[in-house]
Amino acid sequence: MTGIIFTKVDNGYSGALDYNELFFYAKGIPGVGPVWYSTDVPLYDKQAMADLIKEQQLKRIVVAGDTPGMVKPFLTGAMVIAGNNPEDVVLASFREYGATDNTKIDRAKGILFCIALGVTFAEAALPEETDVQPDTLVIGGGIAGIQASLEIANGNQKVYLVERTGTLGGHMAMFDKTFPTLDCAACILTPKMVEVGQHPNIEILTYSEVKGVTGEPGNYKVKILNKARRVDLATCIGCGICTEKCPAKAPSEFDNGTTLRKAIYIPFPQAVPNKYLIDADSCTYVLKGKCGVCVKVCPVEGCIDLDAKDQEMEITVGNIIVATGFKPFDAGKIERFGYGKYPQVITSLELERLINAAGPTEGNIHFRSQDKKGNWIFSVESGMPKSFAIIHCVGSRDENYNKYCSRVCCMYSLKLAHLIKEKLEDADVFEYYIDMRAFGKGYEEFYERIENEGIHIVRGRTAKIEERNGRLMVRSEDILNDQLIEQEVDMVVLSIGLEPREDAAELAEMLGISTEEEGWFTEANYNTDPVNTFVGGITIAGVCQGPKDIPDAVAQGSAAAARVLQSIVKGKIKKSIKDMPLEKIEEKAKQFSNSMEGKS
Amino acid sequence: MKEMSQYGMGTWNACFHCGNCTAVCSLTEEGILFPRKEIRALQMGLEDKLATSVEPWLCYYCGDCTETCPRDANPGELMMSVRRWLTAKYDWTGLAGLFYKSLSALIIAFVLVAIGIVAMGFVKDFNSEAVMYFGHILEFYLILTVFTIILIPNILRMFYFTVIKAKVNAPFGSYIAAIGNLITHMFTQVKTLKCDKQTVRWLEHFLLVMGYLGLLVITVFLDWFGTENQIIIYMGYITGGLVFVFTFLLMISRLSKARELNKYSQPTDWFFIIWLFLMGFTAFLVRLFIDIDLLNDHFWIYMVHLIVVSQWGMLLVPFGKWTHFLYRSFAVSFANLKKAALIKKLATAA
Ligand SMILES: Cc1cc2nc3c(=O)[nH]c(=O)nc-3n(C[C@H](O)[C@H](O)[C@H](O)COP(=O)(O)OP(=O)(O)OC[C@H]3O[C@@H](n4cnc5c(N)ncnc54)[C@H](O)[C@@H]3O)c2cc1C
Ligand code: SF4
Ligand code: SF4
Ligand code: SF4
Ligand code: SF4
Repeated sequence: MTGIIFTKVDNGYSGALDYNELFFYAKGIPGVGPVWYSTDVPLYDKQAMADLIKEQQLKRIVVAGDTPGMVKPFLTGAMVIAGNNPEDVVLASFREYGATDNTKIDRAKGILFCIALGVTFAEAALPEETDVQPDTLVIGGGIAGIQASLEIANGNQKVYLVERTGTLGGHMAMFDKTFPTLDCAACILTPKMVEVGQHPNIEILTYSEVKGVTGEPGNYKVKILNKARRVDLATCIGCGICTEKCPAKAPSEFDNGTTLRKAIYIPFPQAVPNKYLIDADSCTYVLKGKCGVCVKVCPVEGCIDLDAKDQEMEITVGNIIVATGFKPFDAGKIERFGYGKYPQVITSLELERLINAAGPTEGNIHFRSQDKKGNWIFSVESGMPKSFAIIHCVGSRDENYNKYCSRVCCMYSLKLAHLIKEKLEDADVFEYYIDMRAFGKGYEEFYERIENEGIHIVRGRTAKIEERNGRLMVRSEDILNDQLIEQEVDMVVLSIGLEPREDAAELAEMLGISTEEEGWFTEANYNTDPVNTFVGGITIAGVCQGPKDIPDAVAQGSAAAARVLQSIVKGKIKKSIKDMPLEKIEEKAKQFSNSMEGKS
Repeated sequence: MKEMSQYGMGTWNACFHCGNCTAVCSLTEEGILFPRKEIRALQMGLEDKLATSVEPWLCYYCGDCTETCPRDANPGELMMSVRRWLTAKYDWTGLAGLFYKSLSALIIAFVLVAIGIVAMGFVKDFNSEAVMYFGHILEFYLILTVFTIILIPNILRMFYFTVIKAKVNAPFGSYIAAIGNLITHMFTQVKTLKCDKQTVRWLEHFLLVMGYLGLLVITVFLDWFGTENQIIIYMGYITGGLVFVFTFLLMISRLSKARELNKYSQPTDWFFIIWLFLMGFTAFLVRLFIDIDLLNDHFWIYMVHLIVVSQWGMLLVPFGKWTHFLYRSFAVSFANLKKAALIKKLATAA
């Protein structure tokens, strides 16, 4: 007889699996005798457990739960004492097969059923195959999406690359250099962007969004909204005269609001496509019905159409890769740090733009100041700070905001400290960290290198920032030196963490894929299937799956492309695990289990 | 240190030593670092280190650290638990620890005191004059004994732990200064004002302490219940009123648990507030009944008052939360010694 033990973890998450329901389901599985919660059995007392096993005449034990592996060693010991085979303690891990919350309770039941009958879930729930359309949709034109598009296009397959903003590049395009190699970010990224822009197999749809997905694995119909750029991509020659004359201004998205741009603009000089566009929210003509200066000065007739309307298109694809990246944490949420209150408290992303030679201050670090109209911007006219504090883990590793570690901020903070020193040799730079996470190849060496550049690296989380003597006072405990420090500096840099996009849940619902508690997209298997989802033909790549750095995002982009190419070459694609109804899984598991018994 | 969880709640294992709490606290300064270091000592089981630290007494439980702790480790409540534990450590009789750990022991003690008072009343035939005379003498001697036999030895023990055993080597002059700030501090608790957003709480606290001390002086030394002096009678009403009004407000705020620090009240904390309230309220009633000539018919009200006062004086003052007030005032002085010692050390090192 088989016994089932549930290891229930109560993490207080309201959408968690309903263990009571699973408990009763388990009792009805053929061949299953006693069903317990781990708290009801003497788990840690091998002798008592062995006695229970004998008394109940158990031959197999299934341990079921989120991470059931933890208690297995105790049970194998008890099985040996009871005279059974220790191999007959088997695990039914709900998480491993993506039954992470209660909407997937049927999958959890399927897992239980299969394991109880001695069949692996993957075997019984293996989805059937179906024909695949050769074209692919990539959503998101950051480094991960760019990489995936190139891999597929270079395999001679057609790719539609949908990007919400006016240019490809994502966050990486904003940086000056990347850790740990301190390579110039643009030198790596721009050639790739240009290659995408010129590739005959890639159709770039910028300023566009996915509005609806119907169909099934291998054959998806996707509705795409092409927002009006109001500048014709084919004929715009990128001369920039329109921008020069345009009277309307708005904060620049690409520069993270560190400066203003015109209503007709190009996000940055190396943008792909290298064409201008009009922001309807700030254009005087769109808002007030009169202006049209740009049309008058534009040298190409008919290039600017101020009345252009948004358009919709529909495409058919076999595979979809989601690479929508992240949203930076909103530093204003933490009042004690005074972001938004003290102008010289800035975010890491703002500093990236200041340091970038193509940024608002020509690559030099200046104070934030008010322009004539009262907008807070960075300009070369204001002075330069001489001392800096860089604060780690802003919004990350904090029960009050995001519990998880954002994984890149330790390293980019070190990078920024180095870049500050490069620009301002005499500057004092203080870094405040909780733990220094230098986990990648060459990262520990990078840390050591920066430490030796005369940067003061302090172990202690900054608790508050206040104005003092016209400067900023940063209060922290210096744990390793057993001190309390109140450091006065000119500028504070908040190393903000990474968060899922606002629309991640909406997109997930449209595609039928799932998100985790924190909002990142869920992969089919964390260890062995990191880019697939439970929906056939939909893969995920880059930070949208969880915080990671550029090398990892690129690796995932390639991995997702491999999955897509595999299906195209084969001409067949697997349907979704999630589409398998419970009865079907049960039926298949019974078949498998009967045939196994027949053999032995 | 499993024992600590009997003095409060135990989530401090979650702490990952980021130092946020120490830095966010408005009361920490160079050389006086808490609460992270106390959590460290606790996690590592360094009982001696904890027993010899004054820092827990310097915390006023504003709750800033708990609110901003990234691990929900609740450092503020931990400081409160350590204070309870220290109270038990300092107390040579061992009763403070017993009462914190066992609610039933505390209740049994309360009942015994009540029976004692009722028995005394019985012996005196519930003759109001005799009983009230006895009550007056009892209060007087109670204060004397509690101070000499329990509180003073316990403060000496505290001094031994936090200054001598902790090897604080302060210059002589700083001892004299320490006595000065002990006195200001004891009455005003002015340090709380250093905490952000604490002014209202401080004022409440200050008026309550003043009311309590006033009531004590007026009933015990000025014989409020026996006097004919109009000024004393009115003063008594004012102080008695202050005590029960403010304790009442305190109870309401605890119940609504609006403030961070009120989230985890211990049964002993409740006893403290309720008894303070009852003392003020019954004293007020007794005098009122005297003034409108009702006391002889309603003598039970004095009996209740006496029971409450005795329980307060015999149990809550020497072994309960009342001592926190005392230890805290001394702690400020001892911490100043520690700071003076640190300055001296730095000076000799330089
Ligand atoms: C301040 C800072 C410094 C950093 N420095 C480094 C470094 O030095 N080295 C390093 O390795 N990593 C660094 N990183 C991490 C790095 O930014 C990421 O690893 C990388 O950008 C991930 O790329 P991605 O393509 O996954 O996402 P993103 O760069 O976020 O790109 C996603 C793209 O998808 C688009 N998009 C989003 N939603 C939609 C939608 N619904 N429809 C269409 N398009 C959409 C976005 O517009 C964007 O273009 C840093 C991060 C920060 C915050
Ligand atoms: S219409 Fe006027 S405001 Fe609008 S983009 Fe052209 S120049 Fe700028
Ligand atoms: S990578 Fe570093 S700074 Fe970022 S959340 Fe993790 S520990 Fe904090
Ligand atoms: S803030 Fe919390 S986690 Fe950080 S040291 Fe204090 S108790 Fe520990
Ligand atoms: S509760 Fe307030 S006073 Fe006490 S340690 Fe925390 S921050 Fe400091």
